[in-house]
Amino acid sequence: MSARPSLIAVDGASGPALITAARRLTPKQESIRRVSRWDASGLFEQLVMAGDDISTVSPRLLLLLYAADLAFRLRWEIEPALAEGHTVVAAPYVDTAIAFGRACGLPMKWLRSLFLFARKPSRRHRIAGAPATSRAEAGFIEFGCAHRTPLDGRELGARTRDYLRTGRGSGGRGRLRRR
Amino acid sequence: MARPTPLSSLRARVRARFSDPSRRRGLLIAFEGPDGSGKTTQRKLFKTWLQSEGHDVVTTKWNSSDLIKPLVKSRKALHALSPTEFSLLHASDFRHRVESIILPALWTGRTVIADRFLFTGLARDVPRGLDLDWVLNLYPPLLWPDIVFYFSVSPATSGLRVTTTRVPNFYEAGQDVTDVDDPVESYHRFIGRVIREYESLALIFNFVTIDAERSIREQHEELRRLFRESEQRAWSDWNVDAVAEWLSRRNGTA
Repeated sequence: MSARPSLIAVDGASGPALITAARRLTPKQESIRRVSRWDASGLFEQLVMAGDDISTVSPRLLLLLYAADLAFRLRWEIEPALAEGHTVVAAPYVDTAIAFGRACGLPMKWLRSLFLFARKPSRRHRIAGAPATSRAEAGFIEFGCAHRTPLDGRELGARTRDYLRTGRGSGGRGRLRRR
Repeated sequence: MARPTPLSSLRARVRARFSDPSRRRGLLIAFEGPDGSGKTTQRKLFKTWLQSEGHDVVTTKWNSSDLIKPLVKSRKALHALSPTEFSLLHASDFRHRVESIILPALWTGRTVIADRFLFTGLARDVPRGLDLDWVLNLYPPLLWPDIVFYFSVSPATSGLRVTTTRVPNFYEAGQDVTDVDDPVESYHRFIGRVIREYESLALIFNFVTIDAERSIREQHEELRRLFRESEQRAWSDWNVDAVAEWLSRRNGTA
């Protein structure tokens, strides 16, 4: 059992790269670690399965749903594991969503406020890599890019990645926290 | 890819559209109040009257987005929502209806009657222990109604009207936060908190309060009178960002 349970946030634009990084941080023999992934609540899966037209869903709506999913992950995965003394790897966590929002031109003030309920991580990792082009192991950024904003998916993915890398987007003021 | 229109031009376009004196502007009218306040009855009567006055009217109800409602419904059935998730999902539903129903209707000059608006989120989420500022910040860019009719009743009246005809459901009764097993008893406890929140919001956001303890006819006549008094009000520039953001997406995806 870990002496000091901690939350490790792993953020990046590539869903598969996040999964790989989370695996790397949680070797199989180390049972004290837990991984919390995007869409544990099944909200996004249910949206897709319903077969409704979600091509017009706005970035704000996607981020509200991401926040609802994260609240679920915190309640059912992250907080219980921390309470039991485990270290938890959350891949992705808050910064991925904020970078996506900034890439879409949303105000930093709104984004920061939206995620105020989320526990501050003990450590942060940024994972390089462009959004995946295949659907396998696609993450939130791939989902967001596929379901449109005024930008096309490729440009949006590049902006998100740039924002995660530099902490500064082309959309104006507001920076991600440095590690 | 087409270059997105600058936000400043979109704002100018929005102002020109909604301030054009030659065009009949669609109004946004919200009906707010606790369960059992009779606002749905009044909303239906009011809609019929508005249509007879020549308004093209669209109605939208709380938690009714075709996209989001199924997500909320299935989780409510399992009693699986925390106050934070409850709040975020209702804000998602509202956002989707703003973008897909309310703004398109207003843009084309139709009048929108909202049976509950974002104030319902505030009135229900704050008694669940959430911070008012945090909940309000889920809703930007804010879209302010031209009029908010607030149907005011006492907790006793609300309790009587709701619980004599049916058993309130788990979340309506606030059982997720009262820890009371009996839904009727829980409702009586929870609705007092909701009404206190509504009374504060009515002052802060300048609602038009309707005494909903009176007869249906008296309330309806007062609604007509109050509406006529405020029908010619100027478009609120507070709404420019909400419309411009929607327009930017519509242009980008068209």
